[in-house]
Amino acid sequence: MSRQVFMDRLRDGLRGLPQQAVADITADYEAHFAEAEAAGRSEAKVAAALGDPARLARELRTETALKRWATEGHRSAASAAFFPLLGLVAVDVPLLLPVFLAVAGTLFGFAIAAIVCFGGGAVVFVAGPFFHNDVAAVMLAALGVMAGSASMGALTALASIGFVNALVWYGRLHMRLLKPALG
Amino acid sequence: MSEAIQAQLKRGVLELCVLALLSRGDAYAYEIASRLAKGIDMGEGTIYPLMRRMQSDGLVDTYLVESSSGPPRKYYKLTTSGQASFAAQKDEWTAFSKAVDEILWGPK
Repeated sequence: MSRQVFMDRLRDGLRGLPQQAVADITADYEAHFAEAEAAGRSEAKVAAALGDPARLARELRTETALKRWATEGHRSAASAAFFPLLGLVAVDVPLLLPVFLAVAGTLFGFAIAAIVCFGGGAVVFVAGPFFHNDVAAVMLAALGVMAGSASMGALTALASIGFVNALVWYGRLHMRLLKPALG
Repeated sequence: MSEAIQAQLKRGVLELCVLALLSRGDAYAYEIASRLAKGIDMGEGTIYPLMRRMQSDGLVDTYLVESSSGPPRKYYKLTTSGQASFAAQKDEWTAFSKAVDEILWGPK
């Protein structure tokens, strides 16, 4: 693989990271090629020693997202970690992909259901008394639905956090190129 | 030795090796990479994420030096906290490797 191809693939794979991070990372590898060339090594040999650029990029992106998830711990960081991780896992263990997708889909479904039930409860809570004679019963029932769906939402959130943490652990197991560099 | 054990071992000592190299003098990444690739057979590309992590941990700092051939080189140097970390990790390593040696070869 030539230097040009390596750098193109690396840059391709890093898309989605902050521009500054991409610039820093690619500058490091450009400098590496330049030094190696000055030392009289061929581009192909240097590229081979560096490893597969697409995989390298995937691991770098996963690690960056995981770090954000570990330090910030909120939802956007979790979803940013999710997709590169999924890519990494999909390459290594295609068998597991349906399982991951099923779990993620189920959690998503629960979250949507919780939101819908909560909204439904709220609508009944406000509008119910106008259509029904037993005002107290309707409002209490609506409150019950809202409380139930809120707790379902909270449980779903807990399960999702657990799921992402498990993915993080699993994803780290699957970093081949970067493994020694991760502390 | 199995690949998994080697990876675990290298992961443990890689940072220590970089700290040691830098304690003897500032260096640029290619120097560090080729030294480590020769010494402990680690992937050359591994050094860059490691340096980024060590920099964000505050163990090393960088500065640019004009080079006669090509663009300026990014040099790494130990920070005070990097020096402290090196001293501590070196002691730990010495004690650990001595203990392992005694088990492997029997007490001397």
